Amino acid sequence: MKVISKSIFYGIITTSFLFSTVAVAKTQISWWNYSNEGSGLNAALTQYIQDGFNSSQDEIELEIIFKEGEYNEATRTALLAGVGPDLVSSSGATYVAKYVEGGFLKSLEEYAEKFGWSDKILPWAYNTGVFSDELYSLPKNYESMLYFYNKTLFEENGWSLPTNLAEYEALAAKIQEQGLYPFAYGSSGWQMTHEHLAGNYLNTVAGPDNVYKAMVGEKEWTDPEFVESLELLKKHMLAGYWSGSLENYYAVGWDDFSAQFQNREAAMLQIGSWGFEIATGLDGKSDDWGWAPLPILTEEGGEPNYQLSVGGTLSINAASENPDAAAEVLNWILTNKDTIIELTKSRNFGEWLMPLYYEEADFAGDIEPKLRDYLVDFSERTGNGNYGYTTWTYYPPEAGTHIWKDMEVVWAGDISVEEFLGEQQKLWEKARKNNELLPIAAR
Amino acid sequence: MIKWSRSAAPFIVLMKNLSNKEMTSWLFLAPVLFIHLLVVAIPSLSSLALCFTDWNGFGKINFVGFENFLELFGDRVFKKAVTHNLIWTSLFLTVPIALALLAAFLLTGVKRFQMFYRFVFFFPYILASIVNCLIWKYLFHPIHGLAAFFKDIGWESLATSPLTTKETSLYAVAFVDGWHFWGFLVVIYITAMYQVDESLYEAADIEGASKWQTFRYVTFPSIRPMFLFSFLIIIIWSVPAFDYVYILTSGGPAYSSEVVANFMYFEAFRNMNVGYASAVGALMFVYVFTILGFFWTLRKLGWEI
Repeated sequence: MKVISKSIFYGIITTSFLFSTVAVAKTQISWWNYSNEGSGLNAALTQYIQDGFNSSQDEIELEIIFKEGEYNEATRTALLAGVGPDLVSSSGATYVAKYVEGGFLKSLEEYAEKFGWSDKILPWAYNTGVFSDELYSLPKNYESMLYFYNKTLFEENGWSLPTNLAEYEALAAKIQEQGLYPFAYGSSGWQMTHEHLAGNYLNTVAGPDNVYKAMVGEKEWTDPEFVESLELLKKHMLAGYWSGSLENYYAVGWDDFSAQFQNREAAMLQIGSWGFEIATGLDGKSDDWGWAPLPILTEEGGEPNYQLSVGGTLSINAASENPDAAAEVLNWILTNKDTIIELTKSRNFGEWLMPLYYEEADFAGDIEPKLRDYLVDFSERTGNGNYGYTTWTYYPPEAGTHIWKDMEVVWAGDISVEEFLGEQQKLWEKARKNNELLPIAAR
Repeated sequence: MIKWSRSAAPFIVLMKNLSNKEMTSWLFLAPVLFIHLLVVAIPSLSSLALCFTDWNGFGKINFVGFENFLELFGDRVFKKAVTHNLIWTSLFLTVPIALALLAAFLLTGVKRFQMFYRFVFFFPYILASIVNCLIWKYLFHPIHGLAAFFKDIGWESLATSPLTTKETSLYAVAFVDGWHFWGFLVVIYITAMYQVDESLYEAADIEGASKWQTFRYVTFPSIRPMFLFSFLIIIIWSVPAFDYVYILTSGGPAYSSEVVANFMYFEAFRNMNVGYASAVGALMFVYVFTILGFFWTLRKLGWEI
């Protein structure tokens, strides 16, 4: 009896030891992501990515750590100190460019080749992570600028969506006659909102071909097309298209303009694709809503385009002791399209909409049809090369901040549009000279 | 008899010095000095060194001499920010000080509920800046705030937000910051006024001095060291003024409320020009040292500061 008890005892000890050895032997991979507990982001990422990956295999243990506050700053400090997580998140290509320059990121070329990542990610988005011919980051989310409109209000008043500049201005005038704002929008709490408008006008007045040429140095930003674009934006801003006046626009924030759109104070909303979250706020009300790509604001109009944007990136820390395991995590994300669709659905398609090759069949029946239409239309149009450029994905740092920060100076009348664009040109030349340009989707 | 080895000699010297009073006090100060060196002095000096470089916060550090300073002196936004800081300092050296002196003087005459009044004046100072800012942001909101009320009653000239109008934004931000700050001055002035010898007031009373004369010839001269101290801290604290500007206007609209600290933050963390931002920091450092040197000179000349 004693012998049996002893055997059982040693058996338990040995088994426990073996199990603990197995547990310890797992490779630990850390990943810092920004925290947004209130909206459920932390729980969603933990469920879909962390738990999903960990339960898919036994060799790697992924831990997502949520950083409060400005996570780019925390990441930058950690990377400078030679530490930080294995998987590095950033807000976009601007940060990636600086991290690459500092030698903080590991090249993903060997993994991209091994796992065939270029076949999984849309080419324009894949190229935003390529620096000096090597892949350093994967796009986490894609966005574009859209129009949302109160469909019921449009039907009641017999309004229709504009297709050229004359129709656009006529519609705005009709809406203002009704005592409404043509567009709900404002910059309180997010001054960078100005760049959404600047980008919209540059891409719909001057057009993406000209924007591309200016970015690659084949045109100057002071050319008449760009002057005309920003003069038109200034004219419309001072005419109170957004929230009634320039002063109101500066004072109105996310909650305010969401309410304006949802409460019939404004007829339209010109915002990024993350605006689906606001538009769906009308679902519980009697009003219906719709979306449309931005119209071309020239006399003759034209085929609308979608501005390309990557919001958020994923990379591997050059100081990581387990880059291969970190690459396994990235590959798991890219190959589990269903999980990513579930995750982005839980975020109302405002986050984690990875630019992968989607087909209509990828989206289950319970997805909002308008949203599905947008996703499919985006793929078709951009697949045909009909795309423009957002400032926050393609502009180098100083030109990228100047476009929104100094736009206020133009609207205030302190400097002319020509002077403003002259400064833009100088900042682009400086960035070109210092080799600070970001990868640009070719035409 | 114990013979000390040659290697123990420095230890003996140290032990001898330890008995020295001066050495003991330095030893007590050592931990604090060490921490100060580690977290304040060394980072500050490193930051000063960065002002001669073109570092972007990530990559290689290149020495550029005085290039950042030359660029700064031609920077229209920096010049605007410096002007705004000077206006800011002038505003804080006048309005809150005058109001606080008046309130403190009147409060010293209040016998009942004085602690309550002190608490009421001091309360905004203990609130977090984000709370103060949000309160005033809502009050100043052109659609939902006081502006809407003024519009309803037909006062169109007031039916706008002072925070989003370029002519008034700096003053509106200074008003909100001053609203939270002046209570602090009230409390330190009251404390100083309570230290004034009561017999001086009795003498003034006997001489038939008016309230103003009592303040002018008794109270103010007696609290002058505290007054000058408040003057000094306002000048120094006005240099890094940041939180109220950042939260309320981010320096806008059109840089109309831009201040030096916000400009420096923007350059370092948005434009990623860490070297350039360090040059701004170096100039702020020089300015504060000049002010301190000025007050130190006054003290050497016998002023009660």
